Amino acid sequence: MSILEIRNLHAGVEDTEILKGVDLTLRSGEIHALMGPNGSGKSTLGYVIAGHPHYDVYEGDILLDGESILDMEADERTKAGIFLAFQYPVAVPGVSVANFLRTAVSNVRGYTDQENGSQRSGVIGSNLMPMRDFRRELNAKMKEFNVDPSFARRYLNDGFSGGEKKRTEVLQMAMLEPKFAILDESDSGLDIDALRVVSDGINKLATEDRGFLLVTHYQRILNYVTPDYVSIFYGGRIVQTGGPEVAAMLEEKGYGWVESEFEVVEVVEA
Amino acid sequence: MEYAIGLSEEGVRALSAARNEPEWMLEFRLEAWRIFEAMPWPKPTDEAWRRTRLTGFKLEDYQLNNAAPTEGDRTGVSKLLGQELDEMESAASLIFQDGGLLYRDSSEDLAGKGVIFTDLQSAVTEHGELLRRYFMTQAVKPDHNKFTALHAAMWDTGAFVYVPRNTKVDLPLQIILNQATEGAAGYHHTLVVTEEGAEVTVVDDLLGGKDGMQSAVVELCQGENSILRYMNLQDFDHSTWNFLTGRAAMQRNADLRWIQVSWGSKVTKAFLDIDLLGEGGHAELLGIYFPTGRQHIDHQTLQLHRAPRCFSDLLFNGALKDKARNVYMGIIKVFPGAQQTDAFQRNGNLILDGTARADSIPGLEIEADDVRCTHAATAAQVEDEYVFYLMARGLSRPQAERMIVQGFFQAVLDRVPVESVVEKLERVIERKIGG
Ligand SMILES: Nc1ncnc2c1ncn2[C@@H]1O[C@H](COP(=O)(O)OP(=O)(O)O)[C@@H](O)[C@H]1O
Ligand SMILES: [Mg+2]
Repeated sequence: MSILEIRNLHAGVEDTEILKGVDLTLRSGEIHALMGPNGSGKSTLGYVIAGHPHYDVYEGDILLDGESILDMEADERTKAGIFLAFQYPVAVPGVSVANFLRTAVSNVRGYTDQENGSQRSGVIGSNLMPMRDFRRELNAKMKEFNVDPSFARRYLNDGFSGGEKKRTEVLQMAMLEPKFAILDESDSGLDIDALRVVSDGINKLATEDRGFLLVTHYQRILNYVTPDYVSIFYGGRIVQTGGPEVAAMLEEKGYGWVESEFEVVEVVEA
Repeated sequence: MEYAIGLSEEGVRALSAARNEPEWMLEFRLEAWRIFEAMPWPKPTDEAWRRTRLTGFKLEDYQLNNAAPTEGDRTGVSKLLGQELDEMESAASLIFQDGGLLYRDSSEDLAGKGVIFTDLQSAVTEHGELLRRYFMTQAVKPDHNKFTALHAAMWDTGAFVYVPRNTKVDLPLQIILNQATEGAAGYHHTLVVTEEGAEVTVVDDLLGGKDGMQSAVVELCQGENSILRYMNLQDFDHSTWNFLTGRAAMQRNADLRWIQVSWGSKVTKAFLDIDLLGEGGHAELLGIYFPTGRQHIDHQTLQLHRAPRCFSDLLFNGALKDKARNVYMGIIKVFPGAQQTDAFQRNGNLILDGTARADSIPGLEIEADDVRCTHAATAAQVEDEYVFYLMARGLSRPQAERMIVQGFFQAVLDRVPVESVVEKLERVIERKIGG
């Protein structure tokens, strides 16, 4: 059982505050949907939890099992069990999905540290999970998560369609086996088939030992993935939390209602 | 101008005599020496030398190699060179050190096929007639520039590769040069001749050269329908002044893939030309470089389309660190009548530090009307977004940066056709990036 606590989090870029006091507690086994209009700061929250260096935390804390993670670099947070599926995954030409994932998995599972004694100054190719074991696991997971085997050799997100990128994000999550996953609009821009594949992947990974923060603009994905909690995010903070009925209400009333109910002048609805 | 011992007409005579050269080679050297003396040194106002200055370079500071090794068995090969040798599976190899041949081996009966793969010095006596036909007569002539004239007069090490008609050598032929003596001047020559329908892969692997200078020439003479893959892997000490002039002279339907790896040296000025002489030639010139510290690398390329229906594609990708500097200048020249030319030229720079600098100067000179030519130059930094994405997958910052750089070079590696060459390159890139 793990717990991720976000306490009175104020964060932003230089002098512009974007997150204005976020409080949220996520436990293993929970799916917490975070819904909000564009520009409300959802992606910023994901970035700040994952440790993006562009954002400054002014106040508050993020605790993983009681320990603050604010001083940790992004890679250390990932090794500690936090995973962010990006709204816009970056393309890295020349780096194959398999090569990249082998390095990532080896780091997260501690192959790199284990063999520190014999480390050839961190040269790519050394201190890695044995190729055979890695291949076997990757192939199995590609099958399970509906990713074509040809993707192993393709360059990471390079020339991928929106749906392919999001599916690959789910595959990465499956390989890295995090304690907590923040999925930033993993549903947006997907047609119904791709949405099914992605939701199916999330459901498979939604085990008792894993918690999800499901960030979304639309209610649509919640027809496939059932959340335990739904929070409305607006103006850089959570304005309401409840069960799945909150999503249904939002669906009915729309973000216009949120705006008038919790009016915050500087936020623009896109 | 006064020269140290050896850098004079008497020096050229002495050099030739010490190597027991026939009269024609002595005459060739003397004529080249006269050309060298008559040519002015490059000036900073010369277009080719505006961005790469010879400030601090004095030819007389460097000693000619006068103690050439004697050819022997593997026991005379150092651990470092042995590693270079074993790292790539080859049909045969030659190791040169300090102006002479140190070692040779062969795993295939090349002579039985009529293939010549030997040191130039032996070729002068053993294959004089053949050598004389090609040596600095077709691809790079002595008067090409000041450094080629000097090279023609002073050449010391080098290989002669000759592949007869319709003959194929499967594994690469490997040439290793190690300039072990410090402060020396080296003049390495590579002459590859592929007759009609021949096929071969040749790798030049260049090392050493501490506080020295190298003035090398590469000549690739391709007969009709021949296939040549050539890699020049330059990993000299970071104190070497390195000058290189290379040209491929390609007859009808010849197919070339040339991989230029400029890793080492303090300063490199390389002139690399593709000369498409016959119809239907296909040439790819691929370059990678990764200067660090204060290294200065300059490639100047020419894609000469003299005949119709030829294809040339150039891709130079480099990463730069610290205060490194890179210069790329390239011209695609399409002569009148060279219709249906397809010519491409791309130079990409990945700038890893704000203190590094890359200049890219592409150019087109087109005198035919039915052609397809494009050129592009890009300079990019390793974006924080990329690094963060990889770090969010558990990679450390240095690992993330290395992976991005490696990916950047991969675009070139993807086009290297020989597996053992790709593997060698991957290791070489890893060493540089990991260091
Ligand atoms: N790196 C940044 N620099 C400046 N402003 C930013 C940056 N990231 C986000 N913002 C601003 O913060 C606000 C919230 O953005 P974001 O977190 O992307 O919202 P959402 O994901 O809910 O659409 C927007 O007004 C956006 O312009
Ligand atoms: Mg967003």
